[in-house]
Amino acid sequence: MADERYLDLSVTAFLDGLATRERAPGGGSAAALTVAFAAGLVAMVARSSRVVWDEAPGIAAQALALQDRAAALAGSDAEAWDEAVSALSAAGNGGSAEGNGARRDFELEQKLARAAAIPLEIAELGADVALLAADAGEYGNPAYRADAAAGAALAAGGARAAAHLVEVNLGMRAGDERLERARASEKAAAAAAERLLAAIG
Amino acid sequence: MLRSDEPVAVSRLSTLTDAELVERCRGGEADAWNELVERFSRYVYAIIARGFRLGAEDAEDVFQEVFARIYTHLDKLRDESALRPWIAQLTRRLCLDAVERRGREQPTGEVQEEGRDEVEEIDEAFAVREAVTTLPEACQEILDRFFARDQSYRTISSELDLPAGTVASRIARCLRKLRDELEGRSEPAGGSRE
Repeated sequence: MADERYLDLSVTAFLDGLATRERAPGGGSAAALTVAFAAGLVAMVARSSRVVWDEAPGIAAQALALQDRAAALAGSDAEAWDEAVSALSAAGNGGSAEGNGARRDFELEQKLARAAAIPLEIAELGADVALLAADAGEYGNPAYRADAAAGAALAAGGARAAAHLVEVNLGMRAGDERLERARASEKAAAAAAERLLAAIG
Repeated sequence: MLRSDEPVAVSRLSTLTDAELVERCRGGEADAWNELVERFSRYVYAIIARGFRLGAEDAEDVFQEVFARIYTHLDKLRDESALRPWIAQLTRRLCLDAVERRGREQPTGEVQEEGRDEVEEIDEAFAVREAVTTLPEACQEILDRFFARDQSYRTISSELDLPAGTVASRIARCLRKLRDELEGRSEPAGGSRE
């Protein structure tokens, strides 16, 4: 299912695909779409807050931009993960030609780096969406505060899942700059969601 | 007021309105022509490539033909301020000619409609791009980073040395300025006798 365009599928078809034994779509695609859902909620809150919040239209525009970016990563993540797993599998089988070991290692490294770069991007988007959700909950239409909180919680969940995938995909050592960035995003998203959830009780 | 016989730096020409630029081109100023090509080449190319998806060879031919016709028919443009819609119309017509020449299977009517929708989108994108250039530099910078370079709030905050929690709010305020700028504009309808 990795070569399908997830965004063209019905929700039911995507969920069915997620539940199969195939490795894609997997956690990264689900995290990306979770962040996209969260961004959609922020856009909804902002669009319903124009009367009470001057910045609402600009916040809605940003939420929609983040939603587009996150949704697009659902497919990219599956593709990158699929390529990385295939490369790992080929490396495990000893590769195709003798003497090409260094080149094969380099290509494998590139594919693994990409498989980690995409969840890193998802984690950063999750942090941005959670920040926007916190603003929307604080300044937006109070009638929609629960939706803003739901958006913040979803964004934080997506960021956390994606940060975990960054760590697992590469098995990176502590101190790797990409891992640090992923964890910082996870923390920022969690803090924003906690702040909003605590404020509204 | 600039006079056509004064030497004018190209950078200064870039501040002229379309109508003023047309006037200078008609006066035979080479620099004004350069500015016109510079100002509209991306626009023309966007219509050719995105609106009609012409192949490289056809695209090159249409691109050159558009500017050749602008050069030879600029005197026929009735409303100087309607330069952009005139160029769009001219480009669209030449693209359709190219499509017909290639004898594509797609009926011309459909191509025309598709091209028109795309050109409207391109027009809108160029209007936004133009409006962005009128905003304060700080706004241009932050909008470019967020919407064009897809940078995160954290990156923007760190590179522009802004408090992390204020980036989204600043972007929102800049978008409001952009909206005001766009709403204050009115695109005049135009055409030519060509």
